[in-house]
Amino acid sequence: MFGIVWTTDLLLLTIPSIALTGFMLLGLDPLRLRAFEIRVLAILGGVGPLIPMLVFATECFHGSCIGAVPIFTLVVGESTVALALQLDPLSALVGLTVSIIGAAVILYSVAYMAGTALGDLRRFFALMHLFLAAMLTMVLAGDSIVLFLGWEMMGLCSYLLIAYNTTSAQAIRAGRKAFIMTRFADAMLLAALLLLFLEANSVRLDALIPAGVAAQDGMRPIIAALLLGGAIGKSAQLPLHTWLPSAMAGPTPVSALLHSATMVAAGAVLLIRFAPILAAEPLLQALTAILGAATALFGAASALVQQDVKRLLAYSSISQIGTMMLSIGVGAPQAAAAHFVVHAIFKSLLFLAAGDIAHHSPQGTALAALRGARQRKPLAFLAFLAGAASLAGLPVITAGWWSKEAMLAAVWSAGPILWVVALATAVLTAAYATRAALVAAQPAPAAEAAQDDSSDTGYTLFPLAFLGFGALLAGGLVNPIIRFLGGDMPHAPAFTLAVAAIAPIAGAVLALALAPGAADTPMPAARTGGRRASVVDRVLRVLVIQPFVRLVRWVNGQDGGVEDPVGTGPARLVVWLRRTLAGPTAPDRADRLYKRAFVLPFLQLVRRLNGYGSGVVDPLGNLPARAVLRLQRALADALAPDWIDRWWRRIGAALLSIWTSARRLQTGRVRDHGLAMVAGTAGLLLLAWGYSWH
Amino acid sequence: MSDTAFTGLILLAGALFAVGCFGVLARRAILVQLLSLEIALSGPALAFIVAGARHGQAAGQGMFVLILVLAAAEVALGLALYLRLRRRSDVTDSDTLRELRH
Repeated sequence: MFGIVWTTDLLLLTIPSIALTGFMLLGLDPLRLRAFEIRVLAILGGVGPLIPMLVFATECFHGSCIGAVPIFTLVVGESTVALALQLDPLSALVGLTVSIIGAAVILYSVAYMAGTALGDLRRFFALMHLFLAAMLTMVLAGDSIVLFLGWEMMGLCSYLLIAYNTTSAQAIRAGRKAFIMTRFADAMLLAALLLLFLEANSVRLDALIPAGVAAQDGMRPIIAALLLGGAIGKSAQLPLHTWLPSAMAGPTPVSALLHSATMVAAGAVLLIRFAPILAAEPLLQALTAILGAATALFGAASALVQQDVKRLLAYSSISQIGTMMLSIGVGAPQAAAAHFVVHAIFKSLLFLAAGDIAHHSPQGTALAALRGARQRKPLAFLAFLAGAASLAGLPVITAGWWSKEAMLAAVWSAGPILWVVALATAVLTAAYATRAALVAAQPAPAAEAAQDDSSDTGYTLFPLAFLGFGALLAGGLVNPIIRFLGGDMPHAPAFTLAVAAIAPIAGAVLALALAPGAADTPMPAARTGGRRASVVDRVLRVLVIQPFVRLVRWVNGQDGGVEDPVGTGPARLVVWLRRTLAGPTAPDRADRLYKRAFVLPFLQLVRRLNGYGSGVVDPLGNLPARAVLRLQRALADALAPDWIDRWWRRIGAALLSIWTSARRLQTGRVRDHGLAMVAGTAGLLLLAWGYSWH
Repeated sequence: MSDTAFTGLILLAGALFAVGCFGVLARRAILVQLLSLEIALSGPALAFIVAGARHGQAAGQGMFVLILVLAAAEVALGLALYLRLRRRSDVTDSDTLRELRH
């Protein structure tokens, strides 16, 4: 039965609808729009969802979340298909984050995309709006159908936006790769949701999750594993991570919104949502934690050796989402949600600031394009520093520190080994964040100093300043967020806090040591995020830096992967590590491995089925005829052929000619096949009619 | 619903389907064939609605929604293929597309 009950709660629908309207006006409307009108529509559709979201979220933060809002209910037999949105603490928090980041990125892209042709501009904003609508739909979903709809739409927008630059073959390849790899994971999510539906006989999340927890007949581990598979694909976790670095072929605002802050982190949000099911399966929880820890460490180590700022940030996103997964795996999804918020702020800030600095740079998005930022773009430089400091997790003064501290404390209570891995990740994270900041602090070469005179507009300044303050000050929100989601602030012994506080500083010092010329030119304190060369620093310099000076030459020496003069074992190890983790120009090793293991065999299979190169047309269709011939030869030629053999051999030959004439039926014309279908259906109907005749 | 109305509507549904089928088989322009497919699909859709109303069950409307989605997907795919063919090799006649057969 159908039924719609009109209440004010249905206004929740306006949140995704505003962005969706923006998409329809920009993407489907045949009217010709001028650049000004496109810009106005873009801002309206981008910032619009924030307003109702703010109202509903504020209400929710004050303790009166409206819960599930049914939209459309269909009862079929004993199953219920009940489409609904829902506003619970998690969706309020994530939805608010997504709409704030979305508004900031779309404002920014109004200035960033200013030079593009009208058609492209329209397509860009239409897709950004569609993405925003899809993400908000997925976050606010109250049932698995709407959830999956939003999830798939995000994947589609991701594909279309990565391949936004349709003249670049590389971008299209990257888009296809992202699409196929995430589709692989989406299939697992779909399977999980369908199994949950079979358990619960309802699609509503508030019925699905308890039913999933209560599932007894061996289904629960399968469901949990499939959910985990869906999450790691979307979040680019370890086995399926390779699509994210190549996804950086899209425009920078796309990377800021989709491929770092919101969509990629949706896997973590999904697992937070379904955390009760995961918590009921200790084995899969442990698997989540281990995968997360491994990804975190791998991502951070890879980010350290990147030569391209966007790829560096991509590996950083992989690593940071890995820490969220780790936190979910050790049973602290609330801390992961807090880190989701903080990470969304500082990562989008880093992308936007880097994009602003390197826009129109002749070096593209190479790390070197950041040089001279302090002179060219002082505000973007400051914003980049704030983001890098938050990413590094400098103690107390940055938001990243607070959420990372909460997660580290939660991990400590689960096991010291995972904690050590998380700590190593924190050190490496601080190291690569500082490395990027140091490059940005370098003066530009004289030849490039004069370029890029484009003045900053409010469209760029406001999002950068807003997110910059957020990246530093949002730390105060971590504790309230964790309490709001019904968790407790994890506690850990004081010495772990102290060690965790030293970790980012150690990482920063490591980066200072690795930086080219760090030994002879003193680094001004302000540029490295507020640390001064204190006595401790100097002691650390002697104790830590000196051993690392050689590493400097090894890892960062020639800046282009030239063979090292020192041919000793450790040097080879570092070179090998660098090549394994990330070749600066060649595709990653994992890419090549996947290509050899999956792509080429599949292509070969398809080619073989098509008869490519074997000289036989349609080998699969020829199979019956060939089998008959072979059978005939094997059976008859072994005996002396007498008249019986000749007789039944003729049957074989007749079979062949029957096959040839039957094949002639297959004309390849649509109308002939249509006629055959109609005749066949009519025949079946006649048969059925005859059988049911009384 | 009276028996006459039911019979009439079912006949109408059958007629719609027949018209659509005829269009698909008799016309060679891909676009017109797609149009005819839509007409053909509307026949069973109407039959489902009528049958659902006759038996007082929502399942008929459910099937209608399913057919609606099916038709939308079919048009999206069909039009995309048509545009692609049009741009690639300027094909509008479905009978010329025989190379898909091996």
